[in-house]
Amino acid sequence: MATKIQEPISIPMTVSVPYRFAAGSYLTKCLIGLRDHGTLFAVECPKCKRVQLPPRIVCATCHVRNERWVELGLEGTLVAFTIMYLPLTDPTTGKPHNPPFVYGTVRLDGATSVLDHFINVEPDLEKIRVGMRCRMILRPQAERIGDLSDILYFDPIPG
Amino acid sequence: MKRNVAIIGGGQTFHAARRHDVDQAEMVNEAVRAALNDARMTMDEIDLVILGNMEFFEGTHMTDCWLVHGTGAYGKQGLKITTGGTVGATAVVTAAHHVASGLFPRVLCIGFEKQEEGDTGAILSGVAHPLWGRSLAGAAVGYFAMMGSSYMAAWGATEEHSAMVAVKARQNARKNKYAHLKLDIGIEDVLNSRMLSWPIRMLDMCPASNGACAMILADEKTAKARCKKPVWIRAMDTAHNEQFELDWRDVKTTRPIFSRTCAKRIYRKLGVQKPSEYFDVFEVYEPATWSELVWYEDLGLCAPGEGFRLIEKGVTEIGGAIPVNPSGGVLSTNCIGASAMLRVWEAALQIRGDAGEHQVPKDVRRALTTAYGGTNWTVMTALSRTLDD
Amino acid sequence: MEEKHTTDTFEVDQRLTAHGTYWAGKMGTRFYTALRDQQKILGTPCTTCNKVFWPPRSICTFCFSELKDVVEIGPRGTVETFTLVTYTEPIHPRTAPFLYAVIKLDGADTGMAHFLDEVEIDKVHIGMRVQPVFAKDRKGNILDIQYFKPI
Repeated sequence: MATKIQEPISIPMTVSVPYRFAAGSYLTKCLIGLRDHGTLFAVECPKCKRVQLPPRIVCATCHVRNERWVELGLEGTLVAFTIMYLPLTDPTTGKPHNPPFVYGTVRLDGATSVLDHFINVEPDLEKIRVGMRCRMILRPQAERIGDLSDILYFDPIPG
Repeated sequence: MKRNVAIIGGGQTFHAARRHDVDQAEMVNEAVRAALNDARMTMDEIDLVILGNMEFFEGTHMTDCWLVHGTGAYGKQGLKITTGGTVGATAVVTAAHHVASGLFPRVLCIGFEKQEEGDTGAILSGVAHPLWGRSLAGAAVGYFAMMGSSYMAAWGATEEHSAMVAVKARQNARKNKYAHLKLDIGIEDVLNSRMLSWPIRMLDMCPASNGACAMILADEKTAKARCKKPVWIRAMDTAHNEQFELDWRDVKTTRPIFSRTCAKRIYRKLGVQKPSEYFDVFEVYEPATWSELVWYEDLGLCAPGEGFRLIEKGVTEIGGAIPVNPSGGVLSTNCIGASAMLRVWEAALQIRGDAGEHQVPKDVRRALTTAYGGTNWTVMTALSRTLDD
Repeated sequence: MEEKHTTDTFEVDQRLTAHGTYWAGKMGTRFYTALRDQQKILGTPCTTCNKVFWPPRSICTFCFSELKDVVEIGPRGTVETFTLVTYTEPIHPRTAPFLYAVIKLDGADTGMAHFLDEVEIDKVHIGMRVQPVFAKDRKGNILDIQYFKPI
């Protein structure tokens, strides 16, 4: 059992570590495609035919080289979602996202993998459901930098 | 295994949100001394020390080095394990492999986390890909929330079902004197608790705990000579996913593969046909309510999509046909580096009949434990009371 | 097989920041409280090993005994080894040049690393006798000793 001692001493610590991350050739192709052409490129495994996003050089299941590039559509299906009530911090900027907001995971048409992003819908369970069709909305081309933040959110497709 | 390995002793701290009375070494030492006392051993008799925790979750690196007086590892062989939520189980497996090698007859393994001292969320965001989702990292809460929404849409379960898991865990924890969250709650309390990330509410999530667990593993000769109630490690298995195997949020797919692959292999090793009958008790790693329901299905305790029926019928209660997490589980105590070891130690206590108030009311001969790391892999450990099992 | 990639490559500069609080525990709290309130430096004796440890600890590193007592050590001590730091890095607490020394306080068997000031660099030597200069505004951390200086 925790024993009480008088006025325990503590010291605050902050560690802030800079790093530089290299995307590698496959992800670079994908991110440049997003930035310059507004579409996502995935790779298809020659053996199991999974269309993988983000693209990677080797299929982890089949251990073969992925060489066929597949341009994915802008539309997809919501497979899971949450309404986030916590003011989570974006760890790459240090700024909080503004809750409540909806984010979910979408399987783009033609892909096996899914992609997490914001869903542009009111945080209302009546207006969002698994299986809903959505469309990827991008920043204007001039503002795109080759990052997932080039995708603003997914818009629900009515119907 | 070529050589048999037994758990011949163990111990844990009282787990809590605040441990301002001890430093990390002092806290770890509480568990180490408890384990040595339980095994009636001295530190001199230990051949190797395995320490597990997550780097920087308590603001410190290289704890194997600077907790050496707390762990007792001074001058001894050993190593440090850091494998996410599976840390504690990987430490047990590593210890067991060292014993089974024949080189180290008596091995001490330790798992700990002093979560209040660091920023687990910030450090954990390093798990997410810098260019592929780190900026959107929804923390563990967001991941499990998506698992929940997918589970409900796929199988027709409701938020009441996850609340039942939350209630079972905390009511079981009330019987476990070491547990962190001992809450006398009902389904309404869970449903009325603060919404964090729909459908995950405060009481659907594990706490951030401080605590440690330690166990002593030994070879057959030592175990038989020194221990009245050795618990035998019958099989161990680890399975990994690939990164971005994110289809797991769609619970209807056959991915992720880690849990089912691992269960299949460990069952094959042991010749298990029907796990719900073969094992008498389960200790699974459930940081959130929904993950316990998914474990039921992935372990084959029921068919896919029927996990919520088990909790609905009370099958997995302490007194049920398939008791799961009589200790209160991770939902009641999550000192990360210790959590997966606590699953193994709690299962061992059940087999010994030493679990006290949360002892399941039936003959416990065999137990299965799981661990869960970064949602990308698992470590499973099967225990038995005799070598015939 | 060697391959050269001549396509554009992507690199991003990011930062991971984490805040925390370290708790000094049983022995650490006794040490820092005595340092802050009484300008006393405490060590822990192990009667089995016949050693006095700094920093104080609840368990003997060598024999695994539980340690409960403290003794006052120093404040004077002897330089066991030292270095002159001549480059500056963000992690350093001071701008170069400055002196680090390991000082074995009188009555202790282990050394304490700290700054050495008020000394001519050429005169520093192993075996040099030194004493601490305590901070006026003490906060319960190791910089309650500002630095050591020659006696």
